[in-house]
Formats: sequence, structure tokens, C-alpha cells
Amino acid sequence: MTAVIQAALNGIMMGAMYGLTALGLTLIFGVMKVVNFAHGSLLMVGMFSAYWLIRLTGIHPYLALCIVPPILFVFGYYLQDVVIKPVFKAERQVREPLTVIIVTTGVWYVLDNLALMLFGAEYRTVRTAISNKSFALGEFIISVPKFSGFVAAMLTAAGLALFMRKTKTGMALRATSLDREAANLMGIDQYRVYNIAFGLGTAIAGIAGCVLIPFYYVYPSVGVVFDIRAFIIVVLGGLGSIPGALLGGLVIGLIESVFSQFMASTWTEAIIYAIFLVILFVKPSGFFGHKQDW
Amino acid sequence: MKKGFSGSLLAGCAGAALCAVFLAGPAFAADKTIKIGNVEPLSGPSASVGIQGKQAREMAVEEINAAGGIKSQGGAKLELVYADSKSDPTVGVTETERLINTEKVNLVTGCWNSAVTYPATQVAERYGIPFVVPVAVRDTITERGFKYVFRVAAKDSWWVRDQFRFLKDMQDETGVKLTKIAFLFENGDWGTGFAEKWREMAKKDGYEIVLDEPYPSTATDLTPVVTKLKSARPDIVMLVSNAADAILLTNTMAEMQLKPKVVLASGGGHADPKFLENTDQNALGIFDEVEWNTDVNKAGAKAANEKFKKKYGYDLTGESVDAYAAMYVIADALERAASTDPQKVRDALAATNLTAGPAMIVSYDGVQFDETGQNKNAGIVIIQVAEINGKPERVTVWPKSARRAGYTPAFPANK
Repeated sequence: MTAVIQAALNGIMMGAMYGLTALGLTLIFGVMKVVNFAHGSLLMVGMFSAYWLIRLTGIHPYLALCIVPPILFVFGYYLQDVVIKPVFKAERQVREPLTVIIVTTGVWYVLDNLALMLFGAEYRTVRTAISNKSFALGEFIISVPKFSGFVAAMLTAAGLALFMRKTKTGMALRATSLDREAANLMGIDQYRVYNIAFGLGTAIAGIAGCVLIPFYYVYPSVGVVFDIRAFIIVVLGGLGSIPGALLGGLVIGLIESVFSQFMASTWTEAIIYAIFLVILFVKPSGFFGHKQDW
Repeated sequence: MKKGFSGSLLAGCAGAALCAVFLAGPAFAADKTIKIGNVEPLSGPSASVGIQGKQAREMAVEEINAAGGIKSQGGAKLELVYADSKSDPTVGVTETERLINTEKVNLVTGCWNSAVTYPATQVAERYGIPFVVPVAVRDTITERGFKYVFRVAAKDSWWVRDQFRFLKDMQDETGVKLTKIAFLFENGDWGTGFAEKWREMAKKDGYEIVLDEPYPSTATDLTPVVTKLKSARPDIVMLVSNAADAILLTNTMAEMQLKPKVVLASGGGHADPKFLENTDQNALGIFDEVEWNTDVNKAGAKAANEKFKKKYGYDLTGESVDAYAAMYVIADALERAASTDPQKVRDALAATNLTAGPAMIVSYDGVQFDETGQNKNAGIVIIQVAEINGKPERVTVWPKSARRAGYTPAFPANK
């Protein structure tokens, strides 16, 4: 029983972080209606940024959390503005512009291979102030980096939800997500909103990068590992839903951690996909998704 | 004016180059190259070991070419052609096909991952192109009656045999009795192959198996597996891990405060030079089985390692030494074959008896293939990660004859 509770605690912490990796994806999808295949690469960029920042300056990972996301925001903002926007404009008449998806795939390949060229294929970890630290909670062991990752994920999700509800920019994002034509008519600059959404999504990938780096390693194709999970989580939670992404992440984290106490851990992967299929059958729009007409 | 000048200069250069090509034409034809195709994981989860193998090959081939190439073939130079398997069997097969059909390579080597090597060697066998396997330890690779497949490294049944010999020897030496054993292995061909043999050996030696667990190498989190391991309370933990998961597993075990009496790994990820860098103190006490260690007592080993380290910035590993030696095995066979005809090269490889030369920095005494294509002399050593001068270092501990002078293994590593 101890092992199961221990596993559940770990599953919740990891799950929140999976949710965090999916948040940016769901935000970009919700607003732009584009599946961003470069999301994993953006996470990789976030992890490498955190890695180099901590490695070179030796700062505390919590401090990196204040530096990396803003940089990534700017990076994402201009990536959308310079690379993706022209394609969007060319495909103005199309409801779900397929070419944009292909462009994001291109960005994925370019970023991954750029990282491969610059940093090589090896795995890198950096010893931070909180790496390998853990504290005891009764008879359970809680890992410090994972616990802070959990807290960061919760705060990010709450902050994002608040931002979307309370601020003018947030409302513009939501309006565009609901109906981009109507939002346009109301005087919202659609492409600026896209830039912001993409920037925010990338900044969240930066947060995830800072949170993962104290206990996980980084290498150029690290994004792929998290990406597949992020896609499942986004669909599970409901496309474009912030609480959905968090809940989806928790579900995956719990399944992965708890189920592997009772069976070989290779099986949990199969179970995740099985549950995913069942949910798609029962509730095709996911936990918090609503039927969309686009 | 300026433009005109550079234009004419360019034309002059082009003309000179053209002349040079014409003049040098016949000389080039005599100066032939022999192409060696290499299928290695250059990206994906095993990329770091793939790149080590690549660099070891490059160093060997540079040396061979600098020493005059293959003399019986007019000083023919060796040329390495690489293909990235991404650790994926399907990619490995198509890349082997491509190397043979499009690149027209004379030999193939690779592929580190057993799961990739198994089908890739099948392709080479079908085309009748010699395939030299430096490392990929699954037994069955050389047990299919193939004529064109040769393996330099020891096969995994030998690895397992020696792991259990080590456990027994150490228990006899220290008088410590260990009974409960746990198996934790990556779920690829390599891990499952090891695990099958572990079960047999553990039964034979009277160990109680308390956990027998495969895990995916690409896992984002190994805490669940470590939690499970912790509640099984093993004395001995046997591991087969690739590079990334070896790091994650070691750090997670430290984080979860799990300290088994003996942790015995099987090379691969634990032997990766990046492993110690990424785990540091957490790796202390771990035993690892390798084919080679920098403190191995062989002529030329130290110099070769220094040269390699200077060139690429890290130490040679058992696997890169095998890749290095494989190039010399190939050069030796090509020299004796005096031809690039696949049949003749194959026959020369089968007749290999290499006991001298730069290749002999390996921990064993020679390369000689039996009728299945397996190097009969391949051997293994066991090392322990110990703190030497304040830094974790890999120290040879077994066989006792090879143990570093003055070192007493910590067995059990934890109470």
C-alpha cells in the first residue's frame, strides 16, 4: 500500500508537469486552430535555455524561471510573426490552414537539427541547487524538483486562466478563439493575437523547460518524448481547454505511475492509449471540450 | 577593372583545375578507395554511443590510411560511409539496403543496437556482403548459420555467465551472502535477451528473484519503477540500460534513497562516458560489466586512449574500442584477400587470426572467428565506480587477475 500511495504522489507531480508541457499546445490550438507540431521543439529550446543559463551562471533554477520564459515569449512571438504569419495570410480563405501545420513541422525539424548541430546528440544534465533533493512526508519521499515542478504547473495554469478571463488581451485571445471573423470585425488584430498566443505558448514551454531541467536531461530530440504525451493530454482534456490540459496530465501521470506497481511498466503505455480510445468513444470532445463548429 | 581581374583569375583557376583533373585522372583510378558502410544510431536515444563508435572508427581508419592503406590492393584507402539507424530496426534495414545498393559499399559494420543489427545483418547476408559487428551482443545474431556476419564483441550469454561468476567470486572472497535478486532492463532486444539468461542463471545459482521488470528506454519518469524496486527489497539489482535511462535511473534511485547492497549493470548506458558526468556521486559503488576500461593492462591502450581523448575530449569505452579494433580486423582481412570481391573478403575474414597490432588494445588476446562468425577470444571485465582523488572513477575489479593494484572492491557497496 505504501508503494501505491508513493506512486500516486509521484504520479500527481509528474502528471502536473505533463499538463504543463501540454498547456502551451492547447493554448495555441485554442486560439489559432492550428496543431503546433513544433511544440516539442519549443520545449527543447526552453530546456536548453534553462540548461545553459544555469550551467553558465550557476543561478538557482527558481531564478531561471523568471528569466527563461520572457526570452521564450519573445522568441515565440517573432517566430509566429516572421515564419508562420505569412503562410496564414496566404491561406486566409481556408478555415483550417493545413500548410501552417506543415510549416510548424518544418520549424520542428529546423530547431531539432539546429540543436543537434550546435550542441551534439549527447544527454546533458546540470546539477542545480535542488537536484536530487528530497524530503520525507511521513514514510513517503517527495522529490524537491518534482514538487516545485508541480507547484509551478499549478500556478502557471491558474495564472493563465486568470489572464484569459480578466485582462483585455486575454479577452481578445478568447474572442479570436471563439470566432476569428467576428473578432476581426470588432477591431481585434487577428495576427497580433496570434503572435501573443504563440509567444505565450512558447513561454509556457520555457516554464516547463526550467521545471524539468533540475531532474531530467536535455538532448536535441527530447521534445518528441513529451510531445506525444502532450497531444494525448490535449485531446483527452478537450482541445483548447486549460483545466482540461491539467486534468489530462494528471490522469496520464497517475496511470503511468500507479498502474506500473501492478504490472510491467511497459504495459502502462498501452493502458494510456486504451483509456484514451475509450474516452474518445464516450466523450469525443474530451473532459472539458465543447462541440466546435469549425 | 577589378572585376575583370578577378573574373580572369577565376577562369584561370578553373582551367588549371581542369588540367589537373585530366593529368591526375589515371593516378586517381589506381588510388582506389574501399567503402565501408556503417549503420549506427547517430540520433535518437542511443545517439551518444553511436557517435562514439563513429569517432573510434574514424581514428582507426585515419591511422590505417596514414600507414599506407591496403598494401596488397595498391595502397587502397578505406572510406567510411555512415547511415543513421535512429535505433530503429526498420530504418536500420532500409539504410543497410541503401548502403549496399546505392552507395555500393564493400563491407558493412554496425549497428550497436541488437534490435537493429539482427535484421540489418540479414540484409547483408542476402546480398552476400560481409557484415562486421563490433558490438551488438544478442546471441542469435551469429546463430542463424549466416556466412557473411562476424562479431568482434562477446555475446550476451557470455556477459551473463561472467556476471554470475563475478557475483559468486565476490561472495566467496568477502564471505557476504546475498540471496534476493532483482532484474530491471530496457524492453528492447538487448534487455529482454539478457533477462532470459539471467532467469536461468539465477535459478541455477539459487537466487530468489524478487522483481523481474522491463521498462521503456524512452520513459520520461522512472520513479514508478524505482518505487516498485524499493518495495521488493532486493540485495542485488541487475540492470540493462541505454544511455539516457541509465542516468535517470541512477539519479532517481538516489532521490528515492534506495541503496541496494549490489548494483550490477551490463555496460551500454552505464559505460557511456557521459554517465559519470551526469550522475557524479550518485553512481558511487555501482558495478558495471564492460569489455574494456582505461586502466586495462594492455600495450598501447594508454597511448590510444590519450590520443582519442585529445581528439574528441573523452575516454575510449569498451564499445568504441571494439569499433576501433573492428576497423583493423577489416583492414587485415582486406590485406589478405587482396581483392574487394565479397566472397574473397568473407573468406579472409573467416580465416582471421589477429593477435598483434594496434587493434590489440582490447582487453582480450586476439580476434579469431569460429564457424558461426563469433570471435572466440572476446572477454569481459567488471569495474566499480569508486571515488579516487575526490572524483568518481571506473576501477577494474574482476577478474581478480586484472584488478587494479591496491584497490579493494566495496562489496557490498551499501550495508
